[in-house]
Order: sequence, then C-alpha cells, then structure tokens
Amino acid sequence: MVTALLLGLVAFIAQSEYALGTSLLSRPLVTGLLVGIVMGDITTGVIMGATLELAFIGSFSVGAAIPPDVVTGGVLGTAFAISSGAGPETALLLGLPIATFTLVLKNIYLGLFLPILAHKADKYADDGNTRGIEAMHLIGGFGLSLMLGMIVTISFYVGSDAIKGVLDSIPNFIQTGLQVATGILPALGFAMLARLLINKKVVPYFFLGFIIVAYLNVPVTGIAILGAIVAVIMVNVMQGKKVNLATNQGGVMSDDDDEDF
Amino acid sequence: MKTSDQEQVLEDLEQIKVSNKDLNRIFWRSFQMEFSWNYERQMNMAYTYAMIPLLKKLYKNKEDLSQALKRHLEFFNTTPHIVTMMLGLSAAMEKQNAESKDFDSSTINSVKASLMGPLAGLGDSFFWGTLRLIATGVGTSLALQGNILGPILFLLVFNVPHILIRFMLTRLGFKMGTGFLQRLQQSGTMESLTFGAAILGLMVIGGMSASMISIGVPLKIGSGEGAAPVQDILNNIMPGLLPLAAFGVIYWLLGKGFKATTILIGIALVGILGVWAGILG
Repeated sequence: MVTALLLGLVAFIAQSEYALGTSLLSRPLVTGLLVGIVMGDITTGVIMGATLELAFIGSFSVGAAIPPDVVTGGVLGTAFAISSGAGPETALLLGLPIATFTLVLKNIYLGLFLPILAHKADKYADDGNTRGIEAMHLIGGFGLSLMLGMIVTISFYVGSDAIKGVLDSIPNFIQTGLQVATGILPALGFAMLARLLINKKVVPYFFLGFIIVAYLNVPVTGIAILGAIVAVIMVNVMQGKKVNLATNQGGVMSDDDDEDF
Repeated sequence: MKTSDQEQVLEDLEQIKVSNKDLNRIFWRSFQMEFSWNYERQMNMAYTYAMIPLLKKLYKNKEDLSQALKRHLEFFNTTPHIVTMMLGLSAAMEKQNAESKDFDSSTINSVKASLMGPLAGLGDSFFWGTLRLIATGVGTSLALQGNILGPILFLLVFNVPHILIRFMLTRLGFKMGTGFLQRLQQSGTMESLTFGAAILGLMVIGGMSASMISIGVPLKIGSGEGAAPVQDILNNIMPGLLPLAAFGVIYWLLGKGFKATTILIGIALVGILGVWAGILG
C-alpha cells in the first residue's frame, strides 16, 4: 500500500510538469528513475525508463492532439515490470494499454470537466473576480495531477488484470463516441475566436485559409506565413486606395514601406 | 530602435509603470501555461492567470478589469516554452490600452490570434523537434546502461536553454510591443494593423479548422467490393466538408445566443449517439 501511494505521488509530480514550465518531468526517462527509487531498484528503473522513453518518443502533444498518457503508462509499466521481475518488454506490454486507458479518462477531463471550469472562469471575469479565475485554473491543473496519481495508486494496488476488465466493461460506443466528440470540440474554440475577429471585410480570409489547408494539406506554419503575406498585400492595397482618393489621381500606389509585421 | 532611447520615450509617456518585477511575475506564472489546458479554448485560463497581476495593476475600474479578463479568456494556444513573447506583447498593449482612450482593445486579441500560429510553428519545431530529441538522445544512451546521469542530463539539456529563452522573451516581447505600438500610433496605421491582423488571424483559424477538427463517416453505400465509402464521396465534393459544417453550425449556434457549455454537452452527445448509430466513427 505504501508503495502504491508513493507511486501515485510520482505520477502526481510528473503530471505537475505542466505547472513547471512543461519541463519534461512526465517523460518515462524521468519517471523511470523515480519509480526505481520508490521500488528500491534504481538501475532497473532507469533502464526501463529509457526503453519506454524510446517507445513513447512520438508521444508528445503538438497543437490540440493529446497522445496516450505517458505518465501512467511510464510509471505503472516500469513499476509492474520491476515488481514482477520481468524485462523491459513487460514494461512496454503493460505500459501501452494503461496509457491508452488513461487517455480515455483524460479526454473526458480535458474535453468536458476543464471547459466547465473555464466557463465558470468566464462568469468570474464578468464580476472582475481575479481570485475566482485563478482558482479555476489551479483546480483544473491540480485536479488532473491528482486524478493521474489516483489512477496509478489504485491500479498498482489492484493489479493490471482488473484495469483491463474495467476498460472492457465500458461500452465501446461510449469510448469511441467521446473520442469522436474530442475531434469536434476544437470547432467550438475556433468558432468563438472567429466571432471575435470576423467583420464583413475579412470573412473571405477564413475560407481562404480553410480551403488551402483542406486541399493542399499545408501545415499551420505555412498558412501563417502565407497569411502574413496576404495581410501585407491587402494592407498595401487598402492604403493604395486611400492615396487614390486623397490625391484624386488614378493609378498612384502608396509607396511608403510600412513594416507592419 | 535603440533600447535606451526607447526606454526614455517610455518613461516620458508613462502613467502606469510596468516594472521588471511585473514582467518577472508574468515569467514565473507562464510556467503554468499548459496546466489548465482544455480542448475547447486550450491555454485560455493559464494565459489569463499569467496576466492577472498586471491587469489588476493597470485597471483599477472593475468594468475595465472585467473586459480585460474576458479578452484573455478567449482561445489561445502556442508552444508553452515561448509563450512569454506573446505575454510580453500583450502586457505592452494592455498598458497602452489602459493609458489611452482611443486605443482599439480588439487589436490585443487580433495580435494574439495572428501570432500564436507562427510562434507555435517555430516553437514546436525547435523545442519538440530539435531540442527534445537531442536531450532524449543524450539521456537514453546513458540510461540504457543504467546510468543515473541519463535522466538528469536529459532534464538539463532541455531546460537550461528553455528557461533562458523563456526569460529573455518576456522582456523582448514587452519592448517590441511598446516600440511597435508607439510607431503605429504615430503613423496612424493602427487601422491597417487591425485589418492585417484579422486577415492573418482568420486565415490561421480557417487553416486550423481544416486540419484540427476531425469528423469521419464510416458509412458505405452499396455492398461488397463495389461499396463506396460515404467519406470518399464527401471528400470528392470538398475535403474538410464535415469539419467546415461543424464549424458553421457551432458558429451559427453561438450567434443564436446558445451558451458554450450547452454546445459542449451537445457535441459529446452527438459523438456518442453518432457512434451508436454508426454514422460517426
């Protein structure tokens, strides 16, 4: 039980990397060392951590994509492998399903619970209540660290078979359904942002960006560079028009080089 | 522009002083940028969290403070390690906004919206693609031999440059913000900036909508070998048709005054029911 609690603490600290500058504390390479210390076998912990690190190397979040959870996968995979006296393959074998299972819970947390907190924060903003907003932010963050810590403690306590049972008992359509919903959710954020920026003059540029990416698969950086160029061109055109009106001369273009960007 | 000149100009104009201490607070609070990350508006609460001490200093009036808080609670996402660049810029713009009545506060979010994409592109490729891989390479090669230095070097190789860059960008963002904005106000090109920033911002939002919203239809028309997946047909009409439709519907619902929470729960139900009925997947 003490070991289970300590492992939970390791997961809590690892997840708290997001309060510490996204400093990579959650990576299996680091948690492997910590689990090794807890389990009393540092060398094995470090080696398993490195093995898992390489397995999870592609697993980091870019943009809105959340990968399988490396915290629980790394901690529990290493812990089960050390406790069963098996090799690094066991760490991998156990780590991946746990990481995938945690992702389901994490998606619910990040997709439903945290947005609810964010909407409470909106209400606090109406009243100018900064404490309230800070509280929502901190509760949201520590809540997730706590949740992952608890998942690790409970799973280690009851063993991995039980974990698999729980995963199997959730109807598949609910799991997949939530996954589908998280794919649609960014639309809500984008729509709210677009509401902020859109006026009659700039509506077409949303579609321009959309069409270019949809048809040509340009990465977001590419679209940003293109957007900057289009913005500079359009601003020049707009200023050119003004000059025309002011001087009443057709065809005179603005020649001042305003560096807007 | 020379830094000393710029600071002199600043001091002449300054009504509310934004000190290094204020900027340091932003720097420290920026460490929590991904702490309350969520699917809907992503880094919105953390961004506000980082801005709060300065906003409280700038806006003594409750109504103004409330406006500023709401402004920063909008969608935001970028690479967390370089977010201080944006925070510094926002700090400079908020200061300007607090001091002058004719400042268009919507430019603060336009600038955020238009710069987060390019910054993320730069930041993700450097921190995730380059620096992290170097750190992982150094760390794992030692750790695979059971050497405890592996994890330690891993953290140092990544975080020493990271924290230095994060710190410097706070100051740089603020300096750029003030200089940049003064020039703009003097030359009267603020209108152009808003226009340009809205163009860039909307193109990026449009692009992100196409690449980040994902909806797929597993249905097929017909049976056996000749069955035509509905998704292929939709893609032939226009790739990204469903994400665009989802965006359109939600945009429209927001305009109708539907609350975001209601829409959020609606999306979850649509997902579950859609999968249950076999329409989505």
